[in-house]
Amino acid sequence: MTIYESDLPGVGKKFEVELDDGSRLVIVTHNTGKREVYMKASADADGDKLFEASDRLARKIGTILEGAYFQPVQTEQVETMLSDETYLEWYGVTENAEIAGQSLAKARVRERTGVSIVAIQRGDELISPPTPETVLEVGDTLVVIGDREDCLEFEALLGDDHRA
Amino acid sequence: MAAESTALIDLGVLFAAVAIAGLVAQRINQSVIPFYILVGMVLGEYVLGRLDFPALLGTELVPHGSELALLETEFIYLGAEIGIVLLLFFLGLEFNLDRLIAARDRIGKAGTWDLGINFGLGFVLGWAIFGSFLPAFLTGGIVYISSSAIITKSLIDLGWIANDEAEPMLGTLVYEDLFIAVYLSIATALVFGGGDVVEAVGQIGVAIGFILVLLLLVYLGTEWFQRALETDSHEFTTLRVLGITVLISGAALSIGVSEAVAAFFVGMAFSATEHVHDLENLLEPLRDTFAAIFFFWIGLVTDPSLFPGVAGLIVAAVAVTTPTKLVSGYLGGRIYDLDERRSVRVGLGMTVRGEFSLIIASVALAGAGAGLAQGTAEEIYAFAVGYVLFMSLLGTTLMQYSDRIESVVVPKLERVSAPTPQPIDD
Repeated sequence: MTIYESDLPGVGKKFEVELDDGSRLVIVTHNTGKREVYMKASADADGDKLFEASDRLARKIGTILEGAYFQPVQTEQVETMLSDETYLEWYGVTENAEIAGQSLAKARVRERTGVSIVAIQRGDELISPPTPETVLEVGDTLVVIGDREDCLEFEALLGDDHRA
Repeated sequence: MAAESTALIDLGVLFAAVAIAGLVAQRINQSVIPFYILVGMVLGEYVLGRLDFPALLGTELVPHGSELALLETEFIYLGAEIGIVLLLFFLGLEFNLDRLIAARDRIGKAGTWDLGINFGLGFVLGWAIFGSFLPAFLTGGIVYISSSAIITKSLIDLGWIANDEAEPMLGTLVYEDLFIAVYLSIATALVFGGGDVVEAVGQIGVAIGFILVLLLLVYLGTEWFQRALETDSHEFTTLRVLGITVLISGAALSIGVSEAVAAFFVGMAFSATEHVHDLENLLEPLRDTFAAIFFFWIGLVTDPSLFPGVAGLIVAAVAVTTPTKLVSGYLGGRIYDLDERRSVRVGLGMTVRGEFSLIIASVALAGAGAGLAQGTAEEIYAFAVGYVLFMSLLGTTLMQYSDRIESVVVPKLERVSAPTPQPIDD
C-alpha cells in the first residue's frame, strides 16, 4: 500500500493512493478545506474527477470508509494509525472476555496492557471518557489507544488471542 | 492624476461593471482579469470620455460621454493600491520557505531556467526597443513573470491539479514569486531614484535595509504575530490583519520602498502562525474585491490610443516570449521527470501572464518623470496592458486546447528525444 504525498503551493496538498489493480485514487485537499477526488487508470494517466466534497462531508465519507458505522469485518481489524506507533482501535467485549462485568478500576487495563480506554460505545450511548467506576458490559465497543504490542496484549485479555 | 472625490454612484457603476464582466468571462470560459481591465478601459475617460454622443446621435438629450466616464479618483487609486497589497500579502501567506527548501533542487533548477530564458530575452528585447537599462529591466520583468492567480485557477478548473504537471508549474511559480519580491524592491528604488546612480544606490540601500528589518520581523516575530491574532472574533482578526499589513505597507511606501514587497513579507510572517487557514478564508473575498478594483483601475488609466504606438513591441514580445515560456516550461517538466506530453502542458500553462506584470507596469507609471521619461513610462505601461490582455487570453486558450496541441507536438518531440535506431533516408 503506497501513498504519495505532495505539496501544491497556494492550493493545498495532494495524496495519491495506489490501488490493488494499479490504478490510483488522487485526493486533493484544498487549503479552503474542500476535497477533490480523482481517479487515474494508471500512474501515467490523466485524472478523471469523481466528485468534490466540503470539509464536513469529506470527514463523514472518511468515517464511513473507516468502518465506523458498519463493520462487516472482524472488529480487531479496524484500526487507525495516529502516528507511527500509536493505534486507535475498536474492540467488542464478548462473553468470554475476562474483564466483562468488571469496573475499569478493578480490571486495571492500563497497568496490565498499557492501552487506554478512551471511550465506550454502548448501544446509542457514548461514554467518554469512562470513569474508574464504569463497568464493562458484554456487547460494549471499546475505543482504545495504544501501541501495537499493548493492543495485542489487550486482545489476549479480551479472549481473542488468535492473533497474539 | 487623482483629484476629485468619488460619488457613490461611480463606485456602484464600477462594481456592477466588474460583476457583469466576470459573468461574461465565466460564460465563455475565460479568465476574468482581462475582462476587468477591458471594462475599466471602456468606462474610462479615454473611451467613454471621448464619445461625443450628441454629435453621434444628433440629439442634445444624451449627455456627452465625458460627463458619464469614470475618472481615476483618489478612492479608486487607493482601492487599487489595497488590491496590490492584498494580492502580495496572500502570496506571502501561501509561501512556505520550508517547502521551498525541501524541493529546492527541482524548483531551483526549473525556476532558474525559467528566469534565465524569459527574463534574459525580455531584457534583450527591451534593450533593443528602448536602448537603455531601466526600461529593459522593466520589460524583462513584465514578460518573465507568469500569472499565479490565473494558472492556479486554470489548473483546478481543468482538473490538472490531480496530475503530475501541477507540481513543476506551482513550484516554478513559487520561485517566480520569491524573485519578484526582490525584483520589485529594486525596480521601485530605480524608478524613484530619479535616474541618478548615486540616488538609486541610496534607494536600493534603503529598500534592502527595510527588507532586512522585515525579514528579521518574520524570523523573530512569529510569536508576536501568533499572539496578535489570538481572538475568536472574525471581525477583530480581519481588522488586526489589515491594521498590521496596510500600516507596514504604507510605511514602506512613504520611505520609497515597494508596498507590495512589504505586504509579501508581512504575509510570510503570518504564514508561520496557526492562523493561516482562518486568514485565507476571511480575507479571500476582501482580496478579490480590491483586486477587481486594481484590474479595473489598470484599464481606467490606460489610453487605448497609445496601443498602435506600441503594437510593434507587443507583437514582438508575444512572438518572442510565448516560445520562451513553452521551452522553459517544457524543460521544467523534464527536470521533474515528466514525459513529453506533460512537459508540453507545463509550457502551455506557463505562458499565461497577468497580475504581476501589471503591478510592474503600475510601478513604471508611478515613476513617470522621475527615473523614467514621461513618454517612456506611458509606453511601457500601454505595452504591459496590451501584452497582458493578449497573453492571459492566449495562455488560458492554449491550456483549454492542450489535447489538440499535444497530439500534434508530442509525437515530434518523442521522435527527437528517442531517435529510432535505424537511420532514415528521405
